[in-house]
Amino acid sequence: MLKAEHHKNNRETLNLYFDNAATSWPKPEPVYQAAEKQMRQMHGNPGRSGHTRTLEADRLLYRVRATLTALFQVKDPSRIIFALNATDALNIALKGLLNKGDHVIHTALDHNSVLRPLARLRHDGIITTTTIPCSSEGDPDLHFLEKAYQSNSVLLVINHASNVIGTIAPLNEMIESAHHRGVKVLVDAAQTAGAIPIDAEAMDLDLLAFTGHKSLLGPTGTGGLYVKNGIELKPLREGGTGSQSERDQHPESMPERLEAGTLNSSGLAGLLAGVDFIQETGLVNIRKHEVAIRDYLYQRLQEIKAVRLFGPADSEKCVGSLSLNIKSADCGEIGYLLEDQFGILTRSGLHCAPLAHQAIGTFPQGTVRLSPGYFTSTADVDYLVDALKEIISFSS
Amino acid sequence: MAVNCYITFPSTYSAIRAENLLKQKDYPYKMVPVPRAISSSCGTALRCDCKDIFSLASFLRQQDLDLEGIYRLEESGMKMPKVEDINVES
Repeated sequence: MLKAEHHKNNRETLNLYFDNAATSWPKPEPVYQAAEKQMRQMHGNPGRSGHTRTLEADRLLYRVRATLTALFQVKDPSRIIFALNATDALNIALKGLLNKGDHVIHTALDHNSVLRPLARLRHDGIITTTTIPCSSEGDPDLHFLEKAYQSNSVLLVINHASNVIGTIAPLNEMIESAHHRGVKVLVDAAQTAGAIPIDAEAMDLDLLAFTGHKSLLGPTGTGGLYVKNGIELKPLREGGTGSQSERDQHPESMPERLEAGTLNSSGLAGLLAGVDFIQETGLVNIRKHEVAIRDYLYQRLQEIKAVRLFGPADSEKCVGSLSLNIKSADCGEIGYLLEDQFGILTRSGLHCAPLAHQAIGTFPQGTVRLSPGYFTSTADVDYLVDALKEIISFSS
Repeated sequence: MAVNCYITFPSTYSAIRAENLLKQKDYPYKMVPVPRAISSSCGTALRCDCKDIFSLASFLRQQDLDLEGIYRLEESGMKMPKVEDINVES
Protein backbone atom coordinates (compact mmCIF):
# COMPACT_ATOMS: atom_id res chain seq x y z
CA MET A 1 0.00 0.00 0.00
CA LEU A 2 1.22 3.48 -0.80
CA LYS A 3 2.18 5.67 2.17
CA ALA A 4 -0.36 8.30 1.12
CA GLU A 5 -3.18 5.74 1.13
CA HIS A 6 -2.00 4.38 4.47
CA HIS A 7 -2.06 7.87 5.91
CA LYS A 8 -5.62 8.48 4.69
CA ASN A 9 -6.69 5.29 6.46
CA ASN A 10 -4.87 6.21 9.66
CA ARG A 11 -5.14 9.98 9.67
CA GLU A 12 -5.48 10.22 13.44
CA THR A 13 -2.39 8.18 14.24
CA LEU A 14 0.20 9.61 11.88
CA ASN A 15 1.63 12.96 12.67
CA LEU A 16 5.32 13.22 11.98
CA TYR A 17 6.87 16.42 13.19
CA PHE A 18 9.73 17.90 11.16
CA ASP A 19 9.35 21.51 12.31
CA ASN A 20 11.50 21.67 15.43
CA ALA A 21 13.32 24.79 14.22
CA ALA A 22 9.98 26.63 14.51
CA THR A 23 9.11 25.12 17.88
CA SER A 24 10.10 21.78 19.35
CA TRP A 25 7.57 18.99 19.74
CA PRO A 26 6.96 16.77 21.58
CA LYS A 27 8.20 18.16 24.88
CA PRO A 28 9.55 15.83 27.56
CA GLU A 29 6.61 14.71 29.74
CA PRO A 30 7.79 16.65 32.86
CA VAL A 31 7.51 19.92 30.88
CA TYR A 32 3.73 19.53 30.50
CA GLN A 33 3.40 18.40 34.12
CA ALA A 34 5.48 21.23 35.58
CA ALA A 35 3.62 23.96 33.68
CA GLU A 36 0.26 22.54 34.74
CA LYS A 37 1.32 22.00 38.34
CA GLN A 38 2.55 25.59 38.59
CA MET A 39 -0.79 26.90 37.37
CA ARG A 40 -2.98 24.54 39.39
CA GLN A 41 -1.21 24.33 42.73
CA MET A 42 1.49 26.94 43.12
CA HIS A 43 -0.03 29.96 41.45
CA GLY A 44 1.10 33.21 43.06
CA ASN A 45 2.42 36.37 41.47
CA PRO A 46 6.22 36.34 41.84
CA GLY A 47 7.55 39.37 43.70
CA ARG A 48 4.09 40.63 44.64
CA SER A 49 2.83 40.39 48.23
CA GLY A 50 4.37 38.10 50.77
CA HIS A 51 2.27 34.97 51.04
CA THR A 52 3.79 31.56 50.65
CA ARG A 53 2.65 30.94 47.07
CA THR A 54 4.24 34.19 45.97
CA LEU A 55 7.41 33.10 47.72
CA GLU A 56 7.23 29.73 45.99
CA ALA A 57 6.88 31.53 42.64
CA ASP A 58 9.92 33.67 43.54
CA ARG A 59 11.88 30.53 44.41
CA LEU A 60 10.85 28.93 41.12
CA LEU A 61 12.13 31.92 39.13
CA TYR A 62 15.39 31.80 41.05
CA ARG A 63 15.78 28.09 40.23
CA VAL A 64 15.10 28.73 36.53
CA ARG A 65 17.69 31.52 36.48
CA ALA A 66 20.23 29.38 38.36
CA THR A 67 19.64 26.44 35.99
CA LEU A 68 20.10 28.64 32.90
CA THR A 69 23.18 30.15 34.53
CA ALA A 70 24.64 26.64 34.79
CA LEU A 71 23.63 25.75 31.22
CA PHE A 72 25.29 28.85 29.74
CA GLN A 73 28.24 28.65 32.16
CA VAL A 74 27.81 32.10 33.67
CA LYS A 75 28.34 32.89 37.35
CA ASP A 76 25.75 35.49 38.29
CA PRO A 77 22.07 34.49 37.89
CA SER A 78 20.98 38.15 38.06
CA ARG A 79 22.54 38.69 34.62
CA ILE A 80 19.96 36.41 32.99
CA ILE A 81 16.64 38.14 32.44
CA PHE A 82 13.43 36.55 31.24
CA ALA A 83 11.82 37.55 27.96
CA LEU A 84 8.89 36.32 25.89
CA ASN A 85 11.07 34.65 23.25
CA ALA A 86 14.26 35.32 21.27
CA THR A 87 12.65 38.17 19.29
CA ASP A 88 11.72 39.93 22.53
CA ALA A 89 15.21 39.37 23.98
CA LEU A 90 16.83 40.71 20.78
CA ASN A 91 14.62 43.82 20.90
CA ILE A 92 15.54 44.39 24.55
CA ALA A 93 19.23 44.05 23.66
CA LEU A 94 19.25 46.17 20.48
CA LYS A 95 16.96 48.97 21.65
CA GLY A 96 18.53 49.00 25.11
CA LEU A 97 22.11 49.23 23.87
CA LEU A 98 22.12 51.35 20.73
CA ASN A 99 22.31 55.14 20.68
CA LYS A 100 22.13 57.80 18.01
CA GLY A 101 25.09 57.67 15.66
CA ASP A 102 25.99 54.03 16.35
CA HIS A 103 27.00 51.62 13.58
CA VAL A 104 25.95 47.95 13.73
CA ILE A 105 27.36 45.01 11.76
CA HIS A 106 25.28 41.88 11.24
CA THR A 107 25.16 38.93 8.86
CA ALA A 108 22.96 37.95 5.94
CA LEU A 109 21.85 34.86 7.87
CA ASP A 110 19.94 36.97 10.38
CA HIS A 111 16.30 36.37 11.11
CA ASN A 112 13.73 39.15 10.92
CA SER A 113 13.94 39.24 14.73
CA VAL A 114 17.24 41.08 14.17
CA LEU A 115 16.67 42.59 10.71
CA ARG A 116 13.43 44.38 11.59
CA PRO A 117 14.49 46.05 14.86
CA LEU A 118 17.67 47.17 13.05
CA ALA A 119 15.59 48.46 10.12
CA ARG A 120 13.38 50.43 12.52
CA LEU A 121 16.38 52.04 14.21
CA ARG A 122 17.92 52.76 10.80
CA HIS A 123 14.75 54.29 9.38
CA ASP A 124 14.39 56.44 12.49
CA GLY A 125 17.85 57.85 11.77
CA ILE A 126 19.38 56.40 14.93
CA ILE A 127 21.86 53.87 13.54
CA THR A 128 23.61 52.79 10.36
CA THR A 129 24.20 49.14 9.52
CA THR A 130 26.42 46.91 7.39
CA THR A 131 25.42 43.39 6.33
CA ILE A 132 28.14 40.73 6.07
CA PRO A 133 27.42 38.57 3.00
CA CYS A 134 27.35 34.78 3.35
CA SER A 135 28.15 31.93 0.97
CA SER A 136 25.45 29.59 -0.29
CA GLU A 137 26.56 27.23 2.50
CA GLY A 138 25.92 29.94 5.08
CA ASP A 139 29.53 30.86 5.85
CA PRO A 140 29.93 34.58 6.59
CA ASP A 141 32.62 36.44 4.63
CA LEU A 142 35.17 37.11 7.37
CA HIS A 143 37.37 39.23 5.07
CA PHE A 144 34.39 41.49 4.48
CA LEU A 145 33.86 41.67 8.25
CA GLU A 146 37.41 42.91 8.78
CA LYS A 147 36.72 45.83 6.42
CA ALA A 148 33.26 46.56 7.80
CA TYR A 149 34.32 48.22 11.07
CA GLN A 150 33.91 51.98 11.34
CA SER A 151 34.97 54.36 14.07
CA ASN A 152 31.38 54.38 15.38
CA SER A 153 30.86 50.59 15.22
CA VAL A 154 29.52 49.43 18.58
CA LEU A 155 27.91 46.06 17.94
CA LEU A 156 28.30 42.88 15.89
CA VAL A 157 25.15 40.72 15.78
CA ILE A 158 25.73 37.04 15.01
CA ASN A 159 23.09 34.45 14.22
CA HIS A 160 24.65 31.47 16.01
CA ALA A 161 23.03 29.04 13.56
CA SER A 162 20.90 29.61 10.49
CA ASN A 163 17.24 28.72 10.88
CA VAL A 164 17.07 28.03 7.12
CA ILE A 165 20.03 25.74 6.42
CA GLY A 166 21.40 25.00 9.89
CA THR A 167 24.94 26.39 9.40
CA ILE A 168 26.70 27.23 12.67
CA ALA A 169 28.59 30.53 12.62
CA PRO A 170 32.36 30.66 13.39
CA LEU A 171 31.56 32.35 16.69
CA ASN A 172 35.00 32.40 18.29
CA GLU A 173 36.68 34.00 15.27
CA MET A 174 33.95 36.60 14.91
CA ILE A 175 33.95 37.48 18.63
CA GLU A 176 37.72 37.83 18.63
CA SER A 177 37.54 40.08 15.59
CA ALA A 178 34.87 42.31 17.17
CA HIS A 179 36.50 42.54 20.58
CA HIS A 180 39.81 43.39 18.96
CA ARG A 181 38.04 46.54 17.65
CA GLY A 182 36.28 47.24 20.92
CA VAL A 183 32.94 46.19 19.41
CA LYS A 184 30.41 44.28 21.54
CA VAL A 185 28.82 41.03 20.38
CA LEU A 186 25.15 40.04 20.52
CA VAL A 187 24.56 36.36 19.75
CA ASP A 188 21.15 35.21 18.56
CA ALA A 189 20.96 31.69 19.99
CA ALA A 190 17.36 31.01 18.93
CA GLN A 191 18.45 27.86 17.08
CA THR A 192 21.34 26.81 19.32
CA ALA A 193 20.43 27.21 23.00
CA GLY A 194 19.89 23.64 24.18
CA ALA A 195 21.18 22.19 20.90
CA ILE A 196 24.90 22.92 21.14
CA PRO A 197 26.96 23.82 24.22
CA ILE A 198 27.32 27.57 24.86
CA ASP A 199 29.92 28.67 27.37
CA ALA A 200 29.06 32.37 27.53
CA GLU A 201 31.88 33.46 29.83
CA ALA A 202 34.63 31.43 28.14
CA MET A 203 33.44 32.72 24.74
CA ASP A 204 33.30 36.21 26.27
CA LEU A 205 29.81 36.91 24.91
CA ASP A 206 28.43 40.36 25.73
CA LEU A 207 24.77 39.57 25.05
CA LEU A 208 23.09 36.23 24.38
CA ALA A 209 19.43 36.07 23.33
CA PHE A 210 17.62 32.74 23.54
CA THR A 211 14.16 31.28 23.32
CA GLY A 212 12.68 28.63 25.60
CA HIS A 213 10.37 26.81 23.22
CA LYS A 214 12.83 25.40 20.68
CA SER A 215 15.82 23.28 21.73
CA LEU A 216 15.42 24.18 25.41
CA LEU A 217 12.21 22.11 25.11
CA GLY A 218 10.06 24.50 27.14
CA PRO A 219 6.68 26.14 26.41
CA THR A 220 6.15 29.09 24.08
CA GLY A 221 6.26 32.51 25.73
CA THR A 222 9.57 31.78 27.46
CA GLY A 223 13.09 32.92 26.69
CA GLY A 224 15.68 35.33 27.92
CA LEU A 225 18.76 37.44 27.56
CA TYR A 226 22.17 37.10 29.18
CA VAL A 227 23.80 40.48 29.75
CA LYS A 228 27.49 40.52 30.65
CA ASN A 229 28.43 42.20 33.88
CA GLY A 230 29.25 45.85 33.20
CA ILE A 231 26.71 46.31 30.38
CA GLU A 232 23.65 48.23 31.55
CA LEU A 233 20.86 48.31 28.98
CA LYS A 234 18.15 50.97 28.92
CA PRO A 235 14.91 49.14 29.79
CA LEU A 236 12.48 48.67 26.91
CA ARG A 237 9.60 48.35 29.37
CA GLU A 238 9.05 49.80 32.81
CA GLY A 239 6.38 49.07 35.36
CA GLY A 240 5.52 46.81 38.25
CA THR A 241 8.25 44.74 39.83
CA GLY A 242 6.91 44.30 43.36
CA SER A 243 10.07 45.92 44.70
CA GLN A 244 10.78 49.56 45.63
CA SER A 245 7.10 50.28 44.92
CA GLU A 246 7.25 53.68 46.63
CA ARG A 247 9.63 55.02 43.96
CA ASP A 248 8.35 56.41 40.66
CA GLN A 249 11.44 55.16 38.85
CA HIS A 250 11.89 51.59 37.68
CA PRO A 251 14.54 49.70 39.75
CA GLU A 252 18.04 49.85 38.31
CA SER A 253 19.36 46.57 39.67
CA MET A 254 19.35 43.40 37.60
CA PRO A 255 17.31 41.38 36.88
CA GLU A 256 14.35 43.69 37.73
CA ARG A 257 15.88 46.46 35.60
CA LEU A 258 14.85 44.60 32.44
CA GLU A 259 11.78 42.73 33.74
CA ALA A 260 8.57 44.71 34.19
CA GLY A 261 5.17 43.14 34.73
CA THR A 262 4.13 39.69 35.87
CA LEU A 263 6.39 36.97 34.54
CA ASN A 264 5.20 33.78 32.83
CA SER A 265 5.72 31.55 35.86
CA SER A 266 3.85 28.50 34.55
CA GLY A 267 5.77 28.70 31.26
CA LEU A 268 9.04 29.12 33.15
CA ALA A 269 8.21 26.09 35.32
CA GLY A 270 7.90 24.13 32.07
CA LEU A 271 11.15 25.62 30.79
CA LEU A 272 12.93 24.53 33.97
CA ALA A 273 11.71 20.97 33.38
CA GLY A 274 12.93 21.18 29.78
CA VAL A 275 16.41 22.34 30.79
CA ASP A 276 16.53 19.73 33.56
CA PHE A 277 15.75 17.09 30.90
CA ILE A 278 18.65 18.41 28.78
CA GLN A 279 21.04 18.32 31.74
CA GLU A 280 19.94 14.80 32.74
CA THR A 281 20.16 13.49 29.17
CA GLY A 282 23.42 15.35 28.55
CA LEU A 283 23.67 18.08 25.95
CA VAL A 284 26.50 16.12 24.33
CA ASN A 285 24.18 13.13 23.82
CA ILE A 286 21.40 15.32 22.43
CA ARG A 287 23.87 16.91 20.04
CA LYS A 288 25.18 13.49 18.97
CA HIS A 289 21.66 12.31 18.11
CA GLU A 290 20.77 15.50 16.25
CA VAL A 291 23.95 15.38 14.15
CA ALA A 292 23.34 11.71 13.36
CA ILE A 293 19.69 12.23 12.39
CA ARG A 294 20.45 15.27 10.20
CA ASP A 295 23.26 13.35 8.57
CA TYR A 296 20.96 10.37 7.90
CA LEU A 297 18.29 12.72 6.52
CA TYR A 298 20.84 14.43 4.24
CA GLN A 299 22.22 11.11 2.96
CA ARG A 300 18.77 9.66 2.28
CA LEU A 301 17.58 12.81 0.50
CA GLN A 302 20.57 12.60 -1.80
CA GLU A 303 19.01 9.40 -3.18
CA ILE A 304 16.31 11.52 -4.82
CA LYS A 305 17.57 13.12 -8.03
CA ALA A 306 14.81 15.73 -8.22
CA VAL A 307 15.63 17.06 -4.74
CA ARG A 308 17.94 20.04 -4.45
CA LEU A 309 19.41 20.33 -0.95
CA PHE A 310 20.48 23.56 0.76
CA GLY A 311 22.89 23.56 3.68
CA PRO A 312 26.27 21.99 4.41
CA ALA A 313 26.66 18.24 3.74
CA ASP A 314 28.72 18.00 6.94
CA SER A 315 26.12 17.84 9.74
CA GLU A 316 28.80 18.53 12.37
CA LYS A 317 28.78 22.10 11.01
CA CYS A 318 25.04 22.46 11.56
CA VAL A 319 22.14 22.35 13.95
CA GLY A 320 19.35 19.94 12.99
CA SER A 321 17.70 21.73 10.07
CA LEU A 322 18.18 21.75 6.31
CA SER A 323 16.22 23.05 3.33
CA LEU A 324 15.20 21.58 0.01
CA ASN A 325 13.34 22.26 -3.18
CA ILE A 326 11.98 19.78 -5.72
CA LYS A 327 12.82 20.99 -9.23
CA SER A 328 10.79 24.16 -9.75
CA ALA A 329 7.79 23.00 -7.68
CA ASP A 330 6.14 25.48 -5.32
CA CYS A 331 7.59 24.76 -1.87
CA GLY A 332 4.23 25.62 -0.31
CA GLU A 333 2.59 22.92 -2.41
CA ILE A 334 5.20 20.34 -1.33
CA GLY A 335 4.63 21.29 2.30
CA TYR A 336 0.88 21.02 1.81
CA LEU A 337 1.13 17.58 0.15
CA LEU A 338 3.47 16.30 2.85
CA GLU A 339 0.87 17.11 5.49
CA ASP A 340 -2.30 16.39 3.56
CA GLN A 341 -1.21 13.11 2.02
CA PHE A 342 1.27 11.84 4.60
CA GLY A 343 0.73 13.65 7.90
CA ILE A 344 4.23 15.12 7.87
CA LEU A 345 4.62 18.61 9.31
CA THR A 346 7.31 20.80 7.74
CA ARG A 347 7.70 24.50 7.07
CA SER A 348 7.80 26.11 3.66
CA GLY A 349 8.53 29.68 2.56
CA LEU A 350 11.13 32.22 3.63
CA HIS A 351 11.34 31.26 7.32
CA CYS A 352 11.51 34.97 8.30
CA ALA A 353 15.03 35.17 6.87
CA PRO A 354 14.87 36.89 3.46
CA LEU A 355 18.60 37.69 3.23
CA ALA A 356 19.53 34.06 3.95
CA HIS A 357 17.35 33.00 1.01
CA GLN A 358 19.09 35.58 -1.17
CA ALA A 359 22.43 34.08 -0.10
CA ILE A 360 21.41 30.52 -1.02
CA GLY A 361 19.63 31.63 -4.20
CA THR A 362 16.05 30.79 -3.19
CA PHE A 363 14.57 34.29 -2.86
CA PRO A 364 11.64 34.91 -3.17
CA GLN A 365 10.31 31.40 -3.77
CA GLY A 366 11.72 29.97 -0.51
CA THR A 367 12.30 26.34 0.42
CA VAL A 368 10.79 23.43 2.31
CA ARG A 369 12.60 23.28 5.62
CA LEU A 370 13.00 19.99 7.44
CA SER A 371 14.00 20.22 11.07
CA PRO A 372 14.15 16.94 12.94
CA GLY A 373 14.76 17.02 16.69
CA TYR A 374 15.91 14.91 19.59
CA PHE A 375 12.78 12.76 19.38
CA THR A 376 13.02 12.10 15.62
CA SER A 377 14.01 8.54 14.64
CA THR A 378 15.60 7.12 11.48
CA ALA A 379 12.24 5.38 10.84
CA ASP A 380 10.62 8.86 10.76
CA VAL A 381 13.24 9.94 8.22
CA ASP A 382 12.60 6.83 6.10
CA TYR A 383 8.87 7.60 6.08
CA LEU A 384 9.55 11.20 5.04
CA VAL A 385 11.92 10.19 2.24
CA ASP A 386 9.41 7.64 0.92
CA ALA A 387 6.70 10.31 1.02
CA LEU A 388 8.85 12.72 -1.03
CA LYS A 389 9.51 9.94 -3.55
CA GLU A 390 5.76 9.33 -3.85
CA ILE A 391 5.03 13.04 -4.33
CA ILE A 392 7.62 13.19 -7.11
CA SER A 393 6.27 10.05 -8.81
CA PHE A 394 2.66 11.38 -8.67
CA SER A 395 3.63 14.64 -10.27
CA SER A 396 5.93 13.34 -13.01
CA MET B 1 6.35 41.98 73.52
CA ALA B 2 8.46 40.26 70.82
CA VAL B 3 11.69 41.66 69.46
CA ASN B 4 12.72 40.58 65.97
CA CYS B 5 15.31 41.74 63.52
CA TYR B 6 14.71 42.18 59.79
CA ILE B 7 16.82 42.49 56.68
CA THR B 8 15.28 44.09 53.59
CA PHE B 9 16.59 43.77 50.03
CA PRO B 10 16.60 45.98 46.96
CA SER B 11 14.77 43.26 44.97
CA THR B 12 12.88 40.01 45.30
CA TYR B 13 15.72 38.38 43.40
CA SER B 14 18.16 39.41 46.16
CA ALA B 15 15.80 38.15 48.86
CA ILE B 16 15.59 34.69 47.29
CA ARG B 17 19.32 34.67 46.68
CA ALA B 18 19.83 35.40 50.39
CA GLU B 19 17.54 32.50 51.25
CA ASN B 20 19.58 30.19 48.99
CA LEU B 21 22.88 31.35 50.48
CA LEU B 22 21.60 30.78 54.01
CA LYS B 23 20.97 27.12 53.25
CA GLN B 24 24.68 26.68 53.93
CA LYS B 25 24.24 28.12 57.45
CA ASP B 26 22.33 27.16 60.59
CA TYR B 27 20.71 30.49 61.49
CA PRO B 28 16.98 30.24 62.14
CA TYR B 29 15.14 32.71 59.87
CA LYS B 30 11.91 33.19 57.96
CA MET B 31 11.01 34.99 54.74
CA VAL B 32 8.07 37.31 55.48
CA PRO B 33 6.33 40.29 53.88
CA VAL B 34 8.20 43.53 54.59
CA PRO B 35 6.61 45.04 57.75
CA ARG B 36 4.77 48.27 56.91
CA ALA B 37 6.61 49.98 59.75
CA ILE B 38 9.85 49.51 57.78
CA SER B 39 8.74 50.24 54.24
CA SER B 40 5.68 50.58 52.07
CA SER B 41 7.39 48.33 49.50
CA CYS B 42 5.51 45.10 48.84
CA GLY B 43 8.63 42.94 48.90
CA THR B 44 9.90 40.08 51.02
CA ALA B 45 12.09 40.53 54.11
CA LEU B 46 14.17 38.12 56.13
CA ARG B 47 13.20 37.90 59.82
CA CYS B 48 15.69 36.46 62.28
CA ASP B 49 16.85 36.36 65.84
CA CYS B 50 18.49 39.64 66.86
CA LYS B 51 21.48 37.81 68.32
CA ASP B 52 22.32 36.51 64.81
CA ILE B 53 21.60 39.66 62.83
CA PHE B 54 25.10 41.08 62.44
CA SER B 55 26.89 37.81 61.65
CA LEU B 56 24.10 36.91 59.24
CA ALA B 57 24.22 40.28 57.48
CA SER B 58 27.98 40.18 57.28
CA PHE B 59 27.88 36.67 55.78
CA LEU B 60 25.43 37.86 53.08
CA ARG B 61 27.52 40.92 52.28
CA GLN B 62 30.60 38.72 51.91
CA GLN B 63 28.67 36.88 49.19
CA ASP B 64 28.29 40.17 47.28
CA LEU B 65 24.64 40.48 48.11
CA ASP B 66 23.18 43.98 48.36
CA LEU B 67 21.14 44.57 51.50
CA GLU B 68 18.70 47.46 51.63
CA GLY B 69 18.31 47.82 55.38
CA ILE B 70 18.62 46.14 58.77
CA TYR B 71 16.03 46.83 61.45
CA ARG B 72 15.11 45.90 65.00
CA LEU B 73 11.37 45.84 65.72
CA GLU B 74 9.58 45.72 69.06
CA GLU B 75 6.30 44.11 68.10
CA SER B 76 3.26 43.98 70.36
CA GLY B 77 0.02 42.56 69.05
CA MET B 78 -1.88 44.69 66.57
CA LYS B 79 -0.08 47.93 67.41
CA MET B 80 2.42 49.51 65.03
CA PRO B 81 5.83 48.23 66.13
CA LYS B 82 8.68 50.44 67.25
CA VAL B 83 11.39 50.43 64.58
CA GLU B 84 15.06 50.99 65.06
CA ASP B 85 17.37 51.25 62.04
CA ILE B 86 20.44 49.27 63.05
CA ASN B 87 22.12 49.17 59.65
CA VAL B 88 25.86 49.33 60.09
CA GLU B 89 27.87 48.81 56.91
CA SER B 90 30.32 46.01 57.61
